[in-house]
Amino acid sequence: MDAVEGIPPAVTEETEAFWAAAAEGRLVVERCDDCGAESFPPRGMCRSCRSRSLSPAEVTGRGRVYSYTVNYQRWTPDLEVPFAIGLVEFPAHPGVRVVGRLRGRDPEDVRVDDEVEIGFEPGPGGYAIPSFTVVGRGQAAGQAG
Amino acid sequence: MGVDDFERKVVISGVGQSAIGRQVPRSGLQLTLDAITAAVADAGLVLDDIDGLAMFPGGGAANLPGYANGYLYEVQDALGLTTRWRQGQVEGMSLPFYGPAQAVATGQARHAVVWRTVKEGSAARGAGGRPAYGSTKPLAEGPMAWWLPLGALSPVCHVAPYATRYMHEYGVTREQLAWIPVTQRAHAALNPDAVYRTPLTVDEYLTSRMISSPICLYDCDVPADGSTAIVVSAMGTAPDLRAPVRIEAMAGVIDDRPSWDQWRDMGRVGYATAAAMWQRTDLRPADVDVAQIYDGFTIEAVWWLEAMGFCGTGEAGDFVEGGERISLGGDLPMNTWGGQLSGGRLHAGFGHTAEAVRQLRGEAGDRQVDHAEVAAVTNVGGFEAGAAILTRF
Repeated sequence: MDAVEGIPPAVTEETEAFWAAAAEGRLVVERCDDCGAESFPPRGMCRSCRSRSLSPAEVTGRGRVYSYTVNYQRWTPDLEVPFAIGLVEFPAHPGVRVVGRLRGRDPEDVRVDDEVEIGFEPGPGGYAIPSFTVVGRGQAAGQAG
Repeated sequence: MGVDDFERKVVISGVGQSAIGRQVPRSGLQLTLDAITAAVADAGLVLDDIDGLAMFPGGGAANLPGYANGYLYEVQDALGLTTRWRQGQVEGMSLPFYGPAQAVATGQARHAVVWRTVKEGSAARGAGGRPAYGSTKPLAEGPMAWWLPLGALSPVCHVAPYATRYMHEYGVTREQLAWIPVTQRAHAALNPDAVYRTPLTVDEYLTSRMISSPICLYDCDVPADGSTAIVVSAMGTAPDLRAPVRIEAMAGVIDDRPSWDQWRDMGRVGYATAAAMWQRTDLRPADVDVAQIYDGFTIEAVWWLEAMGFCGTGEAGDFVEGGERISLGGDLPMNTWGGQLSGGRLHAGFGHTAEAVRQLRGEAGDRQVDHAEVAAVTNVGGFEAGAAILTRF
């Protein structure tokens, strides 16, 4: 698979664990060692109890498309279009919403509430980027989207 | 109220603009000096009266090509001023005049000028279209680290999911929302300084190319070159001013995650800011004679119509359909200069503020709204949002 055209991320103390796990095909977020709350993106402080004691925690299971867009504009000459971008939430992981590519379905057939499986694909700079596979239609399908 | 009404200790005394167009072949510094000179004269002041300077954004914070121009120290140097207060920032500039009003109300400056100078039109031409974020930086930093690696290289991609979610939740259609850019284009036809003045139809809107669904070409503001300057003066100087305008109330609240992708309820944006602003005045939405509300994209104008209470949540489609309500003779004439969608992306509420001031003074020419005494101005949306009511002096 050709790498997605884009700008590589600047990796920071907070995001290092995310990008390292992404390279292994795993989605990790921050989990608070004190209260158990999960959050994304990583901030090094629990957004629920302000603890500074946090650990990477893997998110597994299906996610759900909170919203999405299909990009048609070729912002750079080598950008392949169209492609779908989704904001994916995880019912089992409140507080976590991750932006990623959506694949496995015609971009124009993606809908709000579609179910997705976690995945990654090669992105710019050798980084693996979130790329969710659409696997099912959500209950609210058919509404104006 | 019950809060120190510091905004009532100041006035907006002057607005001025450079030439505005898709491309204006002058540097950002020259456009800025044109706008400042015009704004100070408009206020009835001379340049040596100015003792505070502010720009947006400061520090050369150029995420997009052509985004930031007219650097503060170069401007001060060119004008040969002594300043007692300076400001350049992105964070906190919820309204163009927010920081200057704070400075003047607290006596740090007597007459402060703030400007916003864009060269995005020229930058877009250089990029062969609308410029992408990535063309200025080798790495995607901060919040953009989650977007730019995906190829989501424009703000359009970051705002579009809000429009998707809004339309999903409330059943609002593109056929309805088309009336915002279509009506604003009709207003722009009456504004000699607007970038696009030829009529736009709903059919043209619906058949235009999609940029990032559901945002099409005409839902996007127009990259432009141009500068807007606004002068804020102490209330005590009003007798010396040509045509001041009051700031009745203003606010800028962030009550949710300040991030384009993490904002929780993408169907409702700007509500906390609007509520805080209305708490500072006895005026109500029905008192507003003209609305200059931020329209970087059509959906942002939708947020403001609903958050400000001009219509109910999810009702903006019905409100704007047919265009009558938001036209010059309607209940709520909106973005009478054409807005950023047709007037040009002067950005950050600067074009909106300039037009509100012109309307309240009765200086808006062919697009003047009759008896405009109360104007609403809003800026951006999402997390960094500002809302104000300006009134005739």
